Amino acid sequence: MEKANTQNIPSPIGENKQRIDARDKVTGAAIYADDFQFGNSLLHARIKRSPHPHALIKKIDTTKARALPGVKAIVTGEDFPGYIGLYLQDRFIFCRERVRYVGDPVAGVAAISEEIAQKALDMIEVECEILEPVLDPEFGVSPKAPLIHPDLGQYVVASFILPKPGTNISNHFKIRKGDVDSAWEKCAAIVERKYRIPHIQHVPIEPHVAIAKVDESGGVTLWGSSQSPFAQRNLIAQSMGISQSDMRVIAPIVGGGFGSKAGVSMEALAVAIATKVKGRPVKLLLTREEEFFTAFVRQGLVAYFKMGCDEKGRLLAVENRFYWDAGAYTEYGVNITRASGYSSSGPYEVPNVKTDSYCVYTNHPVGGPMRGFGMPEMHAGLEQCIDELALQIGMDAVAFRKLNCLKTGSILVTGSKMHPTGLPQCVEIVAEAIGWGKKSPPSAPHKRRGKGLALMWKAPAMPPNAGSSAWVELAEDGTLNVGVGGQEIGQGVFTVAAQMAAAALGVPYESVRIATPIDTRYSPYEWQTVASRLTWSMGNAIVRAAKDARRQILEVVAEAWEETIEDLDIVNGVVISFKSEKEIPLKNLVIYGLPKPGDQGWRGGPVIGRSNFMPTYVTGLDPETGQGERAVVHYTTGAQAVELEVDLDTGRIEILKGVSAFDVGKAINPEMVKAQMEGGFVQGMSSALFEILQLKGGVVQNPSFVDYRIATSADIPKDLQAYIVEVAQDDGPWGARGIGEHSMVPTIPAIANAIYDAVGVRFEGPPFTAEKVYLAMQDAGLIE
Amino acid sequence: MTINTHPTLPEFEYVRPETLAEASEFLTRYPGEARPFLGGTDIFVRMRDGLITPNFLVDVKKLDGTNDLRFEPQAGLTLGAAVNMNRVIASREVQAHYPLLAEACRSVASYQLRTRATVVGNICNASPAGDTIGACLVFNGVLHIHEVNGLRQEPLAEFFLGPGKTTLKPGDIVTAIHLPLPPKGCAGVYLKLGRNKLSDLSLVGVTALGHPDPSLPSGYRFRLALASVAPVPLVPTQAETYLANQPITPETIREAAHLAAEACAPIDDLRGSARYRKEMVRNLSAKALSEVWEKLK
Repeated sequence: MEKANTQNIPSPIGENKQRIDARDKVTGAAIYADDFQFGNSLLHARIKRSPHPHALIKKIDTTKARALPGVKAIVTGEDFPGYIGLYLQDRFIFCRERVRYVGDPVAGVAAISEEIAQKALDMIEVECEILEPVLDPEFGVSPKAPLIHPDLGQYVVASFILPKPGTNISNHFKIRKGDVDSAWEKCAAIVERKYRIPHIQHVPIEPHVAIAKVDESGGVTLWGSSQSPFAQRNLIAQSMGISQSDMRVIAPIVGGGFGSKAGVSMEALAVAIATKVKGRPVKLLLTREEEFFTAFVRQGLVAYFKMGCDEKGRLLAVENRFYWDAGAYTEYGVNITRASGYSSSGPYEVPNVKTDSYCVYTNHPVGGPMRGFGMPEMHAGLEQCIDELALQIGMDAVAFRKLNCLKTGSILVTGSKMHPTGLPQCVEIVAEAIGWGKKSPPSAPHKRRGKGLALMWKAPAMPPNAGSSAWVELAEDGTLNVGVGGQEIGQGVFTVAAQMAAAALGVPYESVRIATPIDTRYSPYEWQTVASRLTWSMGNAIVRAAKDARRQILEVVAEAWEETIEDLDIVNGVVISFKSEKEIPLKNLVIYGLPKPGDQGWRGGPVIGRSNFMPTYVTGLDPETGQGERAVVHYTTGAQAVELEVDLDTGRIEILKGVSAFDVGKAINPEMVKAQMEGGFVQGMSSALFEILQLKGGVVQNPSFVDYRIATSADIPKDLQAYIVEVAQDDGPWGARGIGEHSMVPTIPAIANAIYDAVGVRFEGPPFTAEKVYLAMQDAGLIE
Repeated sequence: MTINTHPTLPEFEYVRPETLAEASEFLTRYPGEARPFLGGTDIFVRMRDGLITPNFLVDVKKLDGTNDLRFEPQAGLTLGAAVNMNRVIASREVQAHYPLLAEACRSVASYQLRTRATVVGNICNASPAGDTIGACLVFNGVLHIHEVNGLRQEPLAEFFLGPGKTTLKPGDIVTAIHLPLPPKGCAGVYLKLGRNKLSDLSLVGVTALGHPDPSLPSGYRFRLALASVAPVPLVPTQAETYLANQPITPETIREAAHLAAEACAPIDDLRGSARYRKEMVRNLSAKALSEVWEKLK
């Protein structure tokens, strides 16, 4: 038997392993939802959508459309009375009685071709009574505003969401910590600002797609591009009044999600239509145009900040009001409102905080989760106020942040204590890397340079008991098959999952496979691929499952060798004994077990390890004060700094350098962690400089890439640096916590602060387009 | 405004005639229904969006001479209608004699699209934003047009009538753009302002060309062409005339840039405001003229 070299086996943890999905993606072999083939029985769905932002449906006449040859089904809201929604069930699958945004689904058609489906749509007649729309969240909370959801009081809602029936407020989250009112007089400097953050869209390369089939007995199969196969199983089944076990979701890898494919958005439409054409798969594929206004968008925000500090620069009080322009349905957005509330101090220790965060119904596209989950929007204003306050009190902005930022043991805005955090190191690192305090000369006389910096914090925003599970099984050749329910959306989670499973069991990374596609019938449960929670939560489940398998293997071997488990280890796919120096490869025992000596039978059998993870320690918050023992599982913290140049002739901003440092607890795959930091920086930069859904009367004016600009590779700064800080998470696998979303949280304010440093202008909100910058400089008299 | 959620390419017939005469004849037979067709980078998008609905697309890419890129030392450059922009960019003759044209082509869309897009198509599309039109204007380009009754030549400067509107009549096929020999000692620059660095339409585009001309009081002739600031690609002649008659100094360049801005009539749209565009014409014209002047003096 060959001897395993146990000395030089590095753990795959902390190694830059090649992505497990790299080859398939690069060669084009990877299968996405739209690639599934269904043959001739496939029907094509199209959706009749409201052209009005707010109206009552008086009549829908589908007679003519039904008569069109090739049309197999037409459905309307009448067919589906059930509500749907993640935290607040405020949505019908198809509108009933009322339409609430331009794009609201009114009817659905399935036909033998897309052309016929489209023709049928045009033949559906809808009579509406147009109502006054709500197009601004501040107007939305006023008593003058028309009610968008008169039935709000009857909706099913999660216990931690607090709607105000009889208003357009679907959640009002409050923080009342200390005594803000009496703190102001102790302040030596106070800053008061208002910001307006526009709606943007996730624009994943792969648009939403769902194919649904209902069999004769009512069982539903849904194939889709999804971050949330299990949440879709649960929510769609509930809404349709079927058993969760009759709802199967098959979800291959996702071509970009950024939150837009979390929860349920368009998938229920395909399922609903498919119930009327049993046995035939029905496909709904959004066009790019639909993607821009009928899938989730990032909510708009109107934010008021008041902040004060004493003469030494210590933050004394923060008072915020957030009006989230959450759109027509806020089933998901209500929790963004809550998350921004319990994070509303920013990553600072502030003794007195008063926050009112309102989730407001408007007749705008439906707000949903997007990378950062409210944090980029909130930090955009907050981190500019910090700069302004430092300036007012005469302190350096970095010194001000170092003084006030969260440290291990700081008292948080919700009253609990901060866990060990590397935020102070992150500030140091980015300040050093950007050359803080040193002004470099511009590249041309008509250019001005500036540097800016911002901090961030963010917790996974989720129900307190969002769970993960995992299994591992071994094949005849000793390879490890890992079952997970979390989704690969480009973030690299399958790679990290394989690294962790390999390390926990004791096999090489190269002998791990991930059981894909995610299939709710075979894959273990996972709440959702959101909140940057998988490395931590699913990772814990994987480690436990691998350890479960490991225990099973070692028990069999220990018994066979008459040793104890403590004498044994599994290294590089081989069970070894420290005591007897015996060894046996896993492949020799993981399926067939081991024979007892003298042909006296067998022991062991096929090995399958299983486990789960669910946080059990998150407590509720007082609805009046937002105070509680432990609001969230943990906070990832970090900092970014930029150096940029403003062209005085055009207003164009060129980001010269971007620096990120985040405390990820432990980088399982450092290169991928850095890639997350870089990718987040670029997406944050894109939202800072270019991106805005131009809404007019509830209609998106720029639903195409011609006029919705996103950063291209040419716009990425040449000098992009990422630094990893590792202060371990006590309940994270190897100490890891999430990083996916965090990296775009501080980018907008870092850029805004750098623009101010360069040319001394500030804006109500992004995007800081060349035109906006130029005209502001002109209005300020900085240029002719 | 309502949003068309499913823009689709309508049905049409693809026609590929064997000769120019046949092509012109076909186009004349179906006026308003048939259109000549080059790279398709604009026409397909506009058909998909329902802006135009031709029943026939007449492919002229294989017809006589449309694939030629020919430089004659005595006569200049003849660029066939079907020559794509990447070929223009890669051409040594273009690089040697008309680098401004190559620069303008490089600013268009992306590499992939430039494999389809053509300079003549850019011209015939007659968008005020056309990035390559300015270079052709300042080089005094002349269009070669095949019509039912034969051939005619038409100066590019007289070609544009409005957004998407030209002097072309049914049956007309632009077979090439001819650029005379560049003026001796000339230097040019194209400044494109997009919202981001790559693949945007120009918010404002400024083409400038200058060369020594002893017959003029200033001793230099400057040409300017402006994109996206008027219903047609605009040549601000007042600015050109001014520089012909004044000594070239930073001050006179600024004044010429001011005159260029005064000459344009931009609109407010999703991409930018009229105010900003006018400012950018002034600043980018000044910049372009200065850069050219630096190369000349």
